[in-house]
Amino acid sequence: MMEKTPIIEVQHITKRFKGLTAVKDVSFTIREGGITGMIGPNGAGKSTTFNMICGYYPPTEGKIFFRGQDITNKKAHEYTNMKIARTFQIMKPLKNLSVLENVVASCYFGHAAAKNNREARERAMEILQFTGLYEKRHVLSKDMGTPDQKRLEMARALATKPELLFLDENMAGLNPAETEDAIRLIREINASGVTIFLIEHIMKAVVSLCEEVIVLHHGEKIAEGTPEQVMNDPYVMEVYLGKKEAPHAQSN
Amino acid sequence: MDIFLQACVNGLLMGGFYSLMGMGQNVIFGVMKIVNFCHGEMLMVGMYLTYVLSTTFSLDPYLCVPLVAIIMFFLGALIQHTLITPSLGTKSFTNLLFLTVGLGLLLSNGALVLFGSEYRTIPTSYQQTFISLGPVNIALPRLISFCVLIVITIVLFAFLKYTTTGKQIRAVSQNPVGAEVVGINTKRIYILTYGIGTALAGIAGALLTGFYTIFPTAGASFGFRALIVVVVGGLGSIPGAFFAGIFLGLLETMVALFVSPSYSDLIVFITFIVILVVRQLIILRRK
Amino acid sequence: MNEKYVKAVRRYHRNLTFALGVILLIFILIPLFVKSPYILNIFILVFYMSTLSMAWNLLGGMTGQNSLGHAAYMGLGAYVSCMLITKAHINPWLSALLCMVVVGLVAGVIFFPCFILRGPYFTLVSIAFGEALRQFIINSTFFGRASGIGLPFKKGNSFLDVRFTSKVPYYYIGFVMLILVYLFMKKIERSRMGYALRTIREDEDAAAAIGINPIRYKVMAVVVSAMVAALVGFFYASYTRYIDPELMVQAKSTESVLPAVVGGAAYVEGPLVGGLIMIPLSEFLRAKYSAILPGINMLLYAIALLAVIRFRPTGILGWYMGSKVKNFVDTVILKKPPVEWFEAVEQERSGRKEA
Repeated sequence: MMEKTPIIEVQHITKRFKGLTAVKDVSFTIREGGITGMIGPNGAGKSTTFNMICGYYPPTEGKIFFRGQDITNKKAHEYTNMKIARTFQIMKPLKNLSVLENVVASCYFGHAAAKNNREARERAMEILQFTGLYEKRHVLSKDMGTPDQKRLEMARALATKPELLFLDENMAGLNPAETEDAIRLIREINASGVTIFLIEHIMKAVVSLCEEVIVLHHGEKIAEGTPEQVMNDPYVMEVYLGKKEAPHAQSN
Repeated sequence: MDIFLQACVNGLLMGGFYSLMGMGQNVIFGVMKIVNFCHGEMLMVGMYLTYVLSTTFSLDPYLCVPLVAIIMFFLGALIQHTLITPSLGTKSFTNLLFLTVGLGLLLSNGALVLFGSEYRTIPTSYQQTFISLGPVNIALPRLISFCVLIVITIVLFAFLKYTTTGKQIRAVSQNPVGAEVVGINTKRIYILTYGIGTALAGIAGALLTGFYTIFPTAGASFGFRALIVVVVGGLGSIPGAFFAGIFLGLLETMVALFVSPSYSDLIVFITFIVILVVRQLIILRRK
Repeated sequence: MNEKYVKAVRRYHRNLTFALGVILLIFILIPLFVKSPYILNIFILVFYMSTLSMAWNLLGGMTGQNSLGHAAYMGLGAYVSCMLITKAHINPWLSALLCMVVVGLVAGVIFFPCFILRGPYFTLVSIAFGEALRQFIINSTFFGRASGIGLPFKKGNSFLDVRFTSKVPYYYIGFVMLILVYLFMKKIERSRMGYALRTIREDEDAAAAIGINPIRYKVMAVVVSAMVAALVGFFYASYTRYIDPELMVQAKSTESVLPAVVGGAAYVEGPLVGGLIMIPLSEFLRAKYSAILPGINMLLYAIALLAVIRFRPTGILGWYMGSKVKNFVDTVILKKPPVEWFEAVEQERSGRKEA
């Protein structure tokens, strides 16, 4: 294994909201080309960490580096120019626009912005085919179900041609079959050369997708490593999987 | 010095009206997050209502206040139920905004069609009575109106603070989903809130008739000022609206005294823009 | 197989061009047959009010920023061009350009800080801006106070001075202005800026996430919108040859919004449809009843607005787009082929270009 500069390096970030410390002194790195996951129970500070890395709000303390460059104070709208894209946990499709227009809008921005309408449309069509939304391209995005809206979130992010993609609970609310599809799509995106960092609740998805996992609890990082290492970490089992602690489990 | 004191008192007396209007706006904004662009027109309706009541039943305008409040409450409730609540569902703020703008247009032009454009007043025997407090002379109608305003303000605060319904209103303004979860009927609260907001504007209108002329666009300048009050005092904050209203009244009379009466409107609007812009720049800095 | 698609698409485009050509021709021919200045005045009113409404729609409909101060931009444009003509003796056409630049700059400087906070602040400031401007002019001797200022009256017609005794030239100038502004708005809608504005309308966070700077684009929208409104102001001043601060009252701003909301604010064509229906109706009522019942035309406006918002929130065009009427017009009259055919033709064309 050769030491490469990690694509993202987070150094000791802390976020306080009016006295409440949501994230406390968290550091980690994301390896280029891989799939890294972040898990943790509700209120563990996952979304806050995620939003800080995406430039949504700056950390109170600490620094964030992208390929060695300090991006701590970059604004959210500057990210696609650095080839970084994100999705939202609460989906934000452009409701009154068709699926095609949603993706065309993304094609116009970012580091590889389309020059004209034809180029934007052509690229949007390719992405729609890749994400399996081609058949629904003329549907208004507000008229689609959750699984398709989640796909659309990814399609919109991919249309900015990112090299690093942040996925915020992209599989929440999907049934097992739909989750399988989503996992397959994420693998394909990764195989096309995009580094992926994801937050997920579904353990199965994280285990089958991620090469590295970071566990947060009460705003602090409590474990890090391969899915197997993390799953077998006693502290993680205690706080996150928690079942062994449950009274009825003890009586068994 | 005497002139200055007189101006202070006049500003205070006028500021009371702006406070009342602003508080009505903020009750509505707090709960539904919509700016009521027909608030001034509601005041105008209150004025005409007082006019009709006092001329047909030869009542003193101040005795009409409770009646006007009740009628305006039901008018507001009706508007909320038939127009605003259904449009809240579409989640389109553009539509909600123009719904209230359209209502304002409807009310002011309705008044124009019904009453014509002439100026009307309600003559009273004490219209020209002045009370001397040291160096300051106060017209009796203005003083009565101000006292009633203060009572209404206290009642409003007490209502929101101590009654169950008042608490429910505050709960809905803080977290509508949470309020619904604990079993508060939000639709009922919406109706109540809009009714209260409208009634407050109507009361302000009724209290104005003692010393102000009545005409179809009489509410416009008060409507504007109510908007200024809510933005300066903070959108949704009822105490904020109270103080901002008083501040606005004082600012107006001070400008009239030290600069020129014809500049008071101009300076009020510029102050408003400056306050808003400066505050936003401060917020941006803090981020 | 593809041949069939190409033919169908070509036929549709031909039908569409023909239909639009006929409509255009009707408007061009109207002054030849209609001699009544009263009717011509209504058409001119439709042209400039619809243009103003299109300016509003760029901000309100496309960007989701509801301005209630467009009468102020229009009024400021009218005043600036009048001052340039009367005091600096600048050619009116040149003054039109200059007044657009001035109004655009003023709007950009005033509203840039207002976009930092979200929520209804922009609307409130747009109202205050209009009132402050009106009060300023009422108090300013330079701008003629409340009595307003007039453009010099001279005998005869002059295209160079935009001065005509007949209404017909104003009709054509107004019509050309309407068409040009429409084409410009259509161009914006399909451009990068149009997509940015619509993305901001739907969700500002989503816009920032794909690389749109929301504040920058909102300021761009307000500047362009104010510039178009200033152009309308210039036209208005040249047409009426006299302006006063009444031009900027709040009610006028509301009037400029109505065609867009009634017609369908989500569509560039909305203000045209709304204006064409609402303004003649309002003028008719004003002419017929205003002596007996003043305010009746605005009352009708208000009722139409409330009815549209309550029952057809997407406006007349929004209703038309999902209606059987459109289906009939598309399939029977224009013979529009399915969307897939268009795409097939488009793909073929781009493929051929690459090869």
